[in-house]
Amino acid sequence: MAAITFDGVTKIFAGKPAVDSLSLHIDDGEFMVLVGPSGCGKTTALRMLAGLEEITTGRLLIGDQVVNNVLPKDRDVAMVFQNYALYPHMSVAQNMGFALKIRGESKDVIRSKVSDAAEILRLTDYLDRRPRALSGGQRQRVAMGRAIVRSPQAFLMDEPLSNLDAKLRVEMRLEIARIQRLLGVATLYVTHDQVEAMTMGDRVAVMRDGQLQQVARPQDLYDRPANDFVAGFIGSPPMNLLRAGVARDGDVTLSIAGQSVTLPERLASPYHLANGEVTFGIRPEDIVVGATGLRARVERCEALGAETLVHLSLNAKGASQHLVAKAGPRTTIVAGDDLAVTFALEHAHFFDVTSGATLRVGS
Amino acid sequence: MKARRLTLSQRRQLAGVVFALPALALVIGLIGVPIGQAVYYSFTQWDGITTTWIGPSTWSQAFHNSDLWTALKNNAALLIWVPVALGLPLAIAVLLHQRVAGWKIFRSIYFLPTAISWVVLGLVAERFFAYQGTLNSIIHAIGLSGVTTNMLGNESTALSALGITFVFTMIGTNTMLFLTGLATLDPSLEEAARIDGAGRWRIFRHITLPHLSRFIQLAFVMTVIALFSALFSLIFVMTGGGPGYATTTMEFLIYQTGFSQGQFGTAALYGLILFAITGVVGIVQLRLIGSDL
Ligand SMILES: Nc1ncnc2c1ncn2[C@@H]1O[C@H](COP(=O)(O)OP(=O)(O)OP(=O)(O)O)[C@@H](O)[C@H]1O
Ligand SMILES: [Mg+2]
Repeated sequence: MAAITFDGVTKIFAGKPAVDSLSLHIDDGEFMVLVGPSGCGKTTALRMLAGLEEITTGRLLIGDQVVNNVLPKDRDVAMVFQNYALYPHMSVAQNMGFALKIRGESKDVIRSKVSDAAEILRLTDYLDRRPRALSGGQRQRVAMGRAIVRSPQAFLMDEPLSNLDAKLRVEMRLEIARIQRLLGVATLYVTHDQVEAMTMGDRVAVMRDGQLQQVARPQDLYDRPANDFVAGFIGSPPMNLLRAGVARDGDVTLSIAGQSVTLPERLASPYHLANGEVTFGIRPEDIVVGATGLRARVERCEALGAETLVHLSLNAKGASQHLVAKAGPRTTIVAGDDLAVTFALEHAHFFDVTSGATLRVGS
Repeated sequence: MKARRLTLSQRRQLAGVVFALPALALVIGLIGVPIGQAVYYSFTQWDGITTTWIGPSTWSQAFHNSDLWTALKNNAALLIWVPVALGLPLAIAVLLHQRVAGWKIFRSIYFLPTAISWVVLGLVAERFFAYQGTLNSIIHAIGLSGVTTNMLGNESTALSALGITFVFTMIGTNTMLFLTGLATLDPSLEEAARIDGAGRWRIFRHITLPHLSRFIQLAFVMTVIALFSALFSLIFVMTGGGPGYATTTMEFLIYQTGFSQGQFGTAALYGLILFAITGVVGIVQLRLIGSDL
């Protein structure tokens, strides 16, 4: 087991960087989740770590060894592929034991390790089957099994749950997290799924266009996004980002869609707010729908069962801004209603209009 | 319509029968009838004009004919070239599949013989192996002026020359077949194996080869059948079955017995023996392929 370090790692495909000077440290035993929109370079980062893709510049370390030029077979990392990549002509047991067989372990050792792993993954009854005779969830577990029998230096997982149905996904999410804690192996886990990112990782790394945006513990990422991209990416539905005018005079007066909101000095002080414009961020759950506050019109309601998403437009003097708020499951709000909203301003975020970086003091 | 209602599966079966009929008619007409005729003629003496019924004794006599055994022995001896005709294309296909520089050009070059008539290939091979041919020129050019080969003129080597030529003619088809097989191999399997610690050889042994097994079996059947039933043109232009009977295979024996000696009845009998041999090879292989599913 070992820590993993990306030190300014860049991968250039046909003149364009797919991963751009990525610096990321994953502690031994840490579960690191890598998220970002499609095409941002997550798989490429993973494949470089596995040794399947050459590194253009930068250093990649496993433990304290630079592995840039180490062959995949000598890196001792295990990878769970998005399509599982199970060997079709081998049984489940042979799939799981393949790496051990290559390593020259004795038949007895292989059998006992495979049966231990099968126990953990509840695959004992399927050991003699071929992959094609398994369900998607079972295949996924075999792919996990192939990784865990090896006790590798690191686990790499590329959206391993993306092919599963919602219920199985919840089960496997817990299962993977449990196994990883059990084995204490450094893990880099790629996902698109907000919930996976928030619940599974010790820390979450957010990427965009090949560049690392922020690495933080899930709750910190949610509460203190480093920029408007992270703010808009983490959370479902995402944070509302509104253009606001700032007039500072002790307290701060924000003008949003032609209406004024007063931000008391106490709440303004954690931010560098100067006269001019900012991007004002507020999460849907931090918007209170009531009788007083900014006037808004309900455009659309989406009942999700446990909650209702209310799409609002803030409207005044021709300037219009769109906003999503959360309401209770049995709300009486309907499209076309005119109401008022107030913001829980202690949970507001402010970002620079041009760079998008947070204006929080000390960030 | 008040017609009798058929269940869905009955209808499907009916459609199957209807669609199969034309093919069935062709198979019966073009293959079944001639085979039946051959069985009949194998019990006769037939010079092409008059047929005389002899009976089962034609068969017992045939097996006492040393020419038949020589031909069968030659066929058996040629079988040792089958592994080469499979192994070489396999190696070429695996190399080309690595996308070596210029692989597209090589692919065309290897496939070229397939597009050329075997008669032409036979003529080229004849020129290659001949006493004053290319092979000897090459041997002399590399400084071995004392060595001169005459593979086609020598009873002990003529069959090998034929085998080598046969391998050459099969390379294109088999390489293409294996390349097709490799193209259907999921590259992430190879990547998974690399991460599992396998080197090139292990990947080939444990991933590539099992994946290709179906293709190798098909190539095996096609190669063996070609060896038994498609060498005629090569033999005809290269050796004429000689020297002596050194390169007379079953196929060539059938031709000679029928068209040179005018014994069409015996030729039909030999044809049935060859048919039985290739039939067995085909059936055994189909069973193997089928059971692997
Ligand atoms: N082999 C390649 N050749 C050229 N460009 C590539 C190659 N692989 C990836 N890319 C490019 O690199 C960028 C990053 O790709 P990558 O597969 O890492 O994205 P990703 O974050 O995994 O996306 P997704 O979430 O859709 O899987 C993309 O723009 C992609 O087009
Ligand atoms: Mg990807």
